[in-house]
Amino acid sequence: MKRNKEKNIFVALCLAPALLLFTIFMVIPTLNVFYISTLKWGGLSANKTFVGLKNYTILFEDMNFIASLQNTILIIVIVTIITMVVSLIFASIIVREDIKFKNFFRVIFYIPNILSVVVISSIFAQIYDPSTNGLLNSILGLFNGEGWTTIKFLGDQGIVIYAIIGAMIWQAIGYYMVMYMASISAIPEHLYEAAQIAGASRFTQFTRITIPLIWNNIRTTLTFFIISSINLSFLFVKVMTSGGPDGASETVLSYLYSQAYTNASYGYGMAIGAVVFILSFILSGAISKATKRDVLEY
Amino acid sequence: MKKIKNMSTEKLFKFFVYSALLTLAVSIIIPVAWVFMASIKENSEFYANPWNLPMGVYFENFKIAFIEAKMGEYFMNSVIATTIGLVVLLLVALPAAYVLARFNFKGKKFVDGMLMAGLFVNVNYIVVPIFLMLLGADNMIYDLIEQELVLNNIFVLGIVYAATAIPFTVYLLSSFFRTLPKAYEEAAEIDGCGYFKTMTKVMIPLAMPSIVTVLLFNFLAFWNEYILALTLNPSSGKTLPVGLMSLMQASRGKAEYGVLYAGLVIVMLPTLILYILVQKKLTQGMTMGGLKD
Amino acid sequence: MKKLFKVLLASLLCLGLVGCSADTDDNAGDATGTPETPVLKIAGLDGGYGSAGWEAVIANFEAAEGVSVELQLEKNIAEVLRPVINSGKDIPDLVYLAVGATGGLTEAMISEKQILDISDVLDMQVGAEGVTVGEKLLPGFTDALTSSPYQDGSLYLAPINYGPCGLFYDANLLATKGWELPTTWAEMFELGDLAAAEGIALFTYPTTGYFDAFFSAVLNSVVGPEQYAKLMTYDVAAWESESTKEAFALVGKLAGYVEENTVANANGEGFTKNQLLILDNKAIFCPNGTWLPGEMAEAPRTEGFEWGFTSIPAYTEGGDAYATTFVEQMYIPTSAENADLAKKFIAYCYSDEAAALFYTNGGAVMPIVGNEKFITAEDPNSLYYNIYNTGAKANAVGFAAIEKVEGVDLTSADGILYGTVNSVVAGTKTVEEWHADVVEAVKKLNK
Repeated sequence: MKRNKEKNIFVALCLAPALLLFTIFMVIPTLNVFYISTLKWGGLSANKTFVGLKNYTILFEDMNFIASLQNTILIIVIVTIITMVVSLIFASIIVREDIKFKNFFRVIFYIPNILSVVVISSIFAQIYDPSTNGLLNSILGLFNGEGWTTIKFLGDQGIVIYAIIGAMIWQAIGYYMVMYMASISAIPEHLYEAAQIAGASRFTQFTRITIPLIWNNIRTTLTFFIISSINLSFLFVKVMTSGGPDGASETVLSYLYSQAYTNASYGYGMAIGAVVFILSFILSGAISKATKRDVLEY
Repeated sequence: MKKIKNMSTEKLFKFFVYSALLTLAVSIIIPVAWVFMASIKENSEFYANPWNLPMGVYFENFKIAFIEAKMGEYFMNSVIATTIGLVVLLLVALPAAYVLARFNFKGKKFVDGMLMAGLFVNVNYIVVPIFLMLLGADNMIYDLIEQELVLNNIFVLGIVYAATAIPFTVYLLSSFFRTLPKAYEEAAEIDGCGYFKTMTKVMIPLAMPSIVTVLLFNFLAFWNEYILALTLNPSSGKTLPVGLMSLMQASRGKAEYGVLYAGLVIVMLPTLILYILVQKKLTQGMTMGGLKD
Repeated sequence: MKKLFKVLLASLLCLGLVGCSADTDDNAGDATGTPETPVLKIAGLDGGYGSAGWEAVIANFEAAEGVSVELQLEKNIAEVLRPVINSGKDIPDLVYLAVGATGGLTEAMISEKQILDISDVLDMQVGAEGVTVGEKLLPGFTDALTSSPYQDGSLYLAPINYGPCGLFYDANLLATKGWELPTTWAEMFELGDLAAAEGIALFTYPTTGYFDAFFSAVLNSVVGPEQYAKLMTYDVAAWESESTKEAFALVGKLAGYVEENTVANANGEGFTKNQLLILDNKAIFCPNGTWLPGEMAEAPRTEGFEWGFTSIPAYTEGGDAYATTFVEQMYIPTSAENADLAKKFIAYCYSDEAAALFYTNGGAVMPIVGNEKFITAEDPNSLYYNIYNTGAKANAVGFAAIEKVEGVDLTSADGILYGTVNSVVAGTKTVEEWHADVVEAVKKLNK
C-alpha cells in the first residue's frame, strides 16, 4: 500500500512539470485558437464581434481554401510515398549490402535535414531557375536539341507544386533513412541468412522480412510525415513562391497566413488553423487504424 | 555459365546502387558547397551565372554580417534561447516520458492522448494566442512591480521553445524507454533503489543514445525557429533567424547577396558542426516506434 | 554524456550572467529617458531609400526641439509591428509604412480604424517658412484615398516620398534598332511584333505587386477619371462596365507579349531576374518606380545601355497617357503616446530643410511645393520627375477603406485583381475569367 502511494507521488512529480508547461503554452493557446475562430476580428484593434460558426461556413465555401487543402493533401501523399520508398530502399541498402563508404553516405544524406528552410529555398531557386542558367534546365538542355524551351519549374501552375514536393523530398530522405536504418539494423541477421539459403531474392527479403519487421516503425513515421509535410510545405512555399503563381502553390498554412494578416481576417485565419489541426489529427488516426497489423515477433 | 550471369547481375546491381547513392550525395554536397562559395563572393558576381566560382575570397561579407547586421549579437541570443530550451526540455520531458513508458496509473490514457494531440498543434497558429497570454502576464506583473518580465525575454523564449517541443520529445523518449527490458528496474529494486534513483541512476543513462537524438532534433528546431522569436521578442533579444530577415533584400532596395549568404553560413555552421559531432549516436537513438512493443 | 550535461549547465550559468548584465544595461538606458524629455518613437520600413535620410532629419529635429527620437527601421516592419500594436504598449508614435507594402499592416490599420485623424497638421506652420503644411503640400495628395481613406474630408496618412511609376526601358536599344517609343497601345503592340521577330519580348514585370501602379494607370486611361474614381470605391457597376472590361482585355493582349520566364521569377526569390531582362535586352519594358536604377546599380548590362522612362501608353491616339504617382505614407496610431510631438515631426518633414536632407541622403522626394529646386536638370532623377512635364498625367492609386471580408483578397499583390495576372500570362485563365473573378469579389466586398 505504501509502495503504491509512493509510486503515485513519484508519477505525479514526474509528470507535473511537463504537463504544466504543456498546458500553459500549448493547450490553452490551442483552446484560444478555437475561441478566436468564432470571432470576426482583424487582429489589431479591440474590435471583436462574436459570429459563432460563421467563419467555418465561409471556409467550406471558399474555393481558395479548398484548393490550398487539395495542394496540401497532394503534398502529403506524394512526399510520403516517394520519401518512404526511397529512404527505405536506401536504408536497407546501406545496412544490408556490402557497400563502401557507408558512413559517408549516411552522414551526407542527413545534411539537408539540418539546413534551414531559407538555405534550402535559395539552393532550389538556383536549381529551378527557368533560364538556361538553372541547374536542372542546363542538364535537361544537354538531352534536348535546338528549339527546346526551358521548363518553368516555379512559373508553370501545373508544375510548381511538384517543384515544391521535389525540394521537400530532397530534404526529408536522410531523416527517414536514418530512422529506418535504426530499426533495420536491429533485425537479427539469421533471418536473412535463412532466407538466402531458401533462395529468396533481395527483393523478396526486403518485402518479406524487412518491411514486416519494421512495420510499427513505418507506421510511426506516417504520423511524422503528415505533421512535418503540413509544416514544411508552408515554410518552403512562403520563401520560394509566396503561394504563387496566382495561388497555384498555396497550402493551408500559407493561406491561413495570407488571410489572417494580409487580408486582416484574423478570426478567419484561426478557423483555418482549427480545421487544419482537426483534419490532420483525424487523418493520422485513420491511417494508423488502416495500417494496423499484427506485429511480427522474431 | 549461370555463375557468370550471376556475377554480371551482381555487378549491374552494384552499379545501380552506387550511382543512386552517388547521385543523391552529389545533389546534397554541391548545393551546400555552393552556399559556402556564395558567401565569399562580391555582390556584383551574383548577377552572373550562379554556378561560377568566386573570383576571390571576399571576407568583408562576414564582417558586415557580424558587425553591421549584428549577427554576432543575435548569435549569442540564439545560443541562450537554444540552450535554455534544451535544458528545460530535458528536465521536464525525461521524467514524464519515463513515467508514461514504464508505469501504469489512472489517467495515463488521457495524458497520452493529450500529448498525442499536441503533436498536431502547429506553432504557426498558436503563436499569437501565446503572445497575448504573455502580454496579459506582463501587464499583471507590471501592475505589481512596474517591470516587464515576460515579453522580450530571451529566457522565456527558451522556455516556450521547450514547452512546444514537449509532445514530440516525450513521444520519442517514451518509445525508447518502452524498448528497455523490465529486468533493469527489477534489478534496481532488489538493490534497494527507490523510484527516483532507479530513474536517474539506471534508466536515464540507458536512454543516452535517445537523449542525444532528441537533443539534436530539438537543437535544429530551436536554432532555426523564426516565428516565436519574432513575435515574443519584438523589441529586444532577436535571434539569428530573425536577424537573417534583415539581410534579405529590401523591397525596392539594392540586394546585398554576399552578406545574405554570409549570414546563412553563420546560421548553418553551428548546426553542421554539432551534427558531425553527434552523428554517430544518431542511428542508435532513433530506435523508436518500438520494435517489440 | 555527463560531460555534455555539465558543459550545457555551465554555459547556461555563464549565459545567465551575461543575460542579466545585458538586462541592467537596458534599464539604465530606460532611466535616461526621463519623463521631462519625451521620446518620439518612429518605426518604419527599411526600404529602397535607406535610413540615412531619416537619421539626418531626426538629428536636426532633435536639436531644434530638444527631444530625443528613437528610430527603428526594419525590412520586415509589418511583421515586427503587428504584435507591438496588438499589445497596445510601446506603440510607435509615428509609423512609416506605405499602403500596399508587404504584410498589409497599413491596410489593416486603416480598416480597423487604428489611425489618428491628423487634419490639424495641415494648419501647422512648416518651421519658420511662414507657410502651413496644407499650403506646402502639392495639391491632390491630401485628398487621395491613400491619405484620406474614409472619404470624410479628414487627413489620416501623411504623404511622403513620391515618385512616378512608369515603364523603364533601354533608350539605347530603341535608338539603335530605330524603334519609336510607343505612345498608344496600338503602337505598343506593333513594337511588340517587331521586337518578337528579333527575339526580344515586349514586356516583363518584377512581380504582380507592381500591377497596382501599372494596371491602375491603364484603367484610368481607358475608363476616364470619373469612372476610375468609382472603381476605387468598389462600385460594382463601374467594375462590370464594358470600358473596364476593355482595360482588362488590354492586359490580356499584353500577356501574349510577356517574356517567357517572367511568371517563374515573379516571386520574392526571383524578381530581380525579371528586372535584369531589360538590362540584358531580353525584354523592352518593365513597370517600376524611380528606385529601380539604384536597385540594379551593380547589375551587369548590355553595352551602351541607357535608362529610359515613359508613361503608360494612351488608350487611343491623342488620349491621356498616365504615369501612376507612387507615394508612401506615414501615420500616427490612435494609441500613440506622443501624438502631438509626432505631428510636429510630420510638419517638420515638409520643410525645405528636411526635404533637402531626405533627398541628398537616399534620393527620396517630398511631395511639396518647390521640390524641383532639389532636382536639377543634370540630376539623373530629372528624367523621371519630368515625366509629368512632358505630357503624362498623374494617376493616383489606392482603394477606399472597406471592411475586410473573409476569404476575399482583392487588392494585395497576390490578390484577385493583380495576382491573377500570372494566370492570364501563363494562359491558365482567360481575361473573361479574370474579370468575372474580380467582379464577384467586388460584389462580396459590397455585401
